[in-house]
Amino acid sequence: MATVFMKWLETSPKDYDRGIQLLTLGRIQRIKQKIATEYLKPDMRVLEIGCGTGTLTAMMAARGAEVTGIDAVPAMLAEAEVKLEAEGLLERVSLKHMDAALIGERFPPSSFDLIASTLVFSELPPDEQLFVLEACKGLLAPGGRLLLADEIVPTGLWSRLLYILVRLPLVLLTWLLTRTTTTALRDLEASLARVGFQAREVASYLGGSLVLFEALPAEAAPSAFALPPTVVGRLRHRASLRSLLLDLWLLFFRIIPPYPKVRPGLYAVGHPDASSPVLVTGNFDLTVRRLVRAIDRQVNAWVLVADSAGINVWCAAGGGYFTAEKVIAAVKSSHLEQVVDHHALILPQLCANGVDGWRIRKQTGWGVHWGPARAQDIPAYLAANRKKTDAMRWVRFPLRDRLEMVTVTLGFYALLILLPVFIFWRPSFWPVTISLLGLSYFYALVHPWLPGRDGLYKSIPLTFIALAGMFAYNALWHPLPSLTLFHWGVGLTGLSVFTGAELQGMSPLMRGEQANWGWEALIGLTLIAIYWLVPLALGWR
Amino acid sequence: MSENPTLQSSLMEHLKIARELRSLEIHYHPEKCKGVWQCYNVCPVGCWTPDYDRRVVVFHDPEKCIACGACVLQCPEDAIELK
Repeated sequence: MATVFMKWLETSPKDYDRGIQLLTLGRIQRIKQKIATEYLKPDMRVLEIGCGTGTLTAMMAARGAEVTGIDAVPAMLAEAEVKLEAEGLLERVSLKHMDAALIGERFPPSSFDLIASTLVFSELPPDEQLFVLEACKGLLAPGGRLLLADEIVPTGLWSRLLYILVRLPLVLLTWLLTRTTTTALRDLEASLARVGFQAREVASYLGGSLVLFEALPAEAAPSAFALPPTVVGRLRHRASLRSLLLDLWLLFFRIIPPYPKVRPGLYAVGHPDASSPVLVTGNFDLTVRRLVRAIDRQVNAWVLVADSAGINVWCAAGGGYFTAEKVIAAVKSSHLEQVVDHHALILPQLCANGVDGWRIRKQTGWGVHWGPARAQDIPAYLAANRKKTDAMRWVRFPLRDRLEMVTVTLGFYALLILLPVFIFWRPSFWPVTISLLGLSYFYALVHPWLPGRDGLYKSIPLTFIALAGMFAYNALWHPLPSLTLFHWGVGLTGLSVFTGAELQGMSPLMRGEQANWGWEALIGLTLIAIYWLVPLALGWR
Repeated sequence: MSENPTLQSSLMEHLKIARELRSLEIHYHPEKCKGVWQCYNVCPVGCWTPDYDRRVVVFHDPEKCIACGACVLQCPEDAIELK
C-alpha cells in the first residue's frame, strides 16, 4: 500500500522538532540555552543559519540581539514566524528564505558579530560545508565568532562503539515516530581549520557525539583564501557486483528508505572542457547511474548532482525535497563558474513541478534550460543545439516501464499482504501469491486498453476479468463448493481493486497519487464485512 | 464532535482530500500570457500548444492534464493556476 506509506513519510515542522529533541535526548535545548546566555550581548548582530522553527532565534532575540534567520524550507520559516509573533519578538528578527550557500553574496562583508548554526552543517553536502564556512569567515566583523553545534562521530574506539550501540536504536525509534533523522559529521574540526578558523570545543554531550564548537577566524590565515573548484570525480557506465545487487534490491524495494545516494557535487562524464554542457540531476543512485548510462561514450558533459534527498527528480520535486535552493547550492559550492566559460544549466524537464527555474535565474544569473523528459534523449537534444521535439517532451508509460513499476509495487505487496497470509492463513498462501502475481502482470500488460484513466475505474474491468477466470476454472476444470467460490470471489475482487488502484501512484499518466487510499480502505472494509456476514446471513456452512 | 480524530473521521478526511485532488483543474488566464512558452516546454503530457502568430499559448488538451503543477510554477506571468 504504497500510498499509505507515502502519506506516513510526510513530515511536518512539528515532527521535526520532536524528532530532534528525541534524537539528542533533549541536549540540543541545553546547547541553545548556552549559546543564548553565554555569548549574546544586547544589540549584537547575529546570523542564524538554518533557523528552523525559530527556537534559538527566539532565545537570542529575547536577549536583545538583532537576529537574521535564514532557512531553505518555507514551512519551517512560517512556523518560526508564528512562534516569534506570539512572543512579540518579530520586530527584532528578520527571517529570509535562502539556502546557506547564498549568504556570502546576500550579506555585506563583516556584517555580523556572531554566526550561529545548530544541526545544519550535517545536512549539507561536503562541498557546501566548506563553501558556507568560507562565506562565514567573510561575514564576521572583527572580533566576531562562529558557533556551530552538530552531531559528530566520536574519534576514540570505545566511544565510537558506545556511540553506535546507543545511537542505532535511537535513530530507528526517532525515525519511526517522526520520520526525522540526521547524519553525523566526520571531520568538522578539519574543515574549520582548512577554511582558516581556529576552533575549540566548548561543550560536549552524549559521549562526545553532540558538540558545540566556537570558531574564530585565524589571524595568520591568508586574507584572500579561496577554495579551488571541486570536481568530485569521473562517472562511467560500468556494471559491477555492487550495481547488480543494488539494481536487484531497487527492483523490489525502491520505496523503502534509506535510499542509496550519490555524494552531491560536480562530476565529469567523458572528457568535458570549459565549453561542455552542464547537466543537473538529483542524487538518487539509480537516477545518476541511468543518466550516465544514457550519455557515457556519446557526449562529454559535466554532471552537477544536487541534493534531492536520494529521491528521483520528479518525486523529489513534487514532494518538496528537490528545490531551486538545492540547485543554487550545488552551483555555488562546486564553483561551477570557474569550471565552465558559459552560464547555461540543463535541468531535467520532470523536475519543473518543484524546481523554480526563475528563482535560479534571478538568484544566480545562470540560464535554465529544460532538457528532455528522458535521459536517453539527451545526446540527441544536445546534438540538436538544445532543441526538443514533442516526443522528447512527453512522458509515456511503455510496457517495459509498466512491468518494472508493477514489480516495484509487488515488493510492497509481498511484505504487506503475503507475509500476514503466510503466517496466519498458510493454506491460502500459494493461491493468493499466484493470483496476485497473475493479476499484477496481466494489469501491466493490458493497462493502456482498460477504459478510464483512474486506477480505481480501471480496476472494475480487471475485477470482471478475474471473476470470469475463476468461473471458467470452476466450470471447465475443477468444480468448487459454493462457499469456497464465494470466498475466492470476494478475495479476487479485493486484490483487483488493490492492484488497479495501487499502480496509479506508479504511473506517470494518472493524477492524484495519494487520492485513492481512502477509497481502498472503504472498499476493503466493505469486502471484509461481506466475506464474513453474507455466508452467516444465508446460513452457508 | 470530539477533538481527537477517530477512524471514521480520518477516513472521511482522506475521502475529502481524494475528491479535491481528483477535481484539481488548470485555470488559464490567456490575457496575461506573453508567449514565454515555458508551460509548453515543461508539460510532460502535451496540454499546451504555442500560437506563434499571436505570441500566446493555447490550453489545447485539458483532458490530458495530470495536475503535476509544472506549468503553474514555471509561468513568469502567473497566468496559470491549479485549483
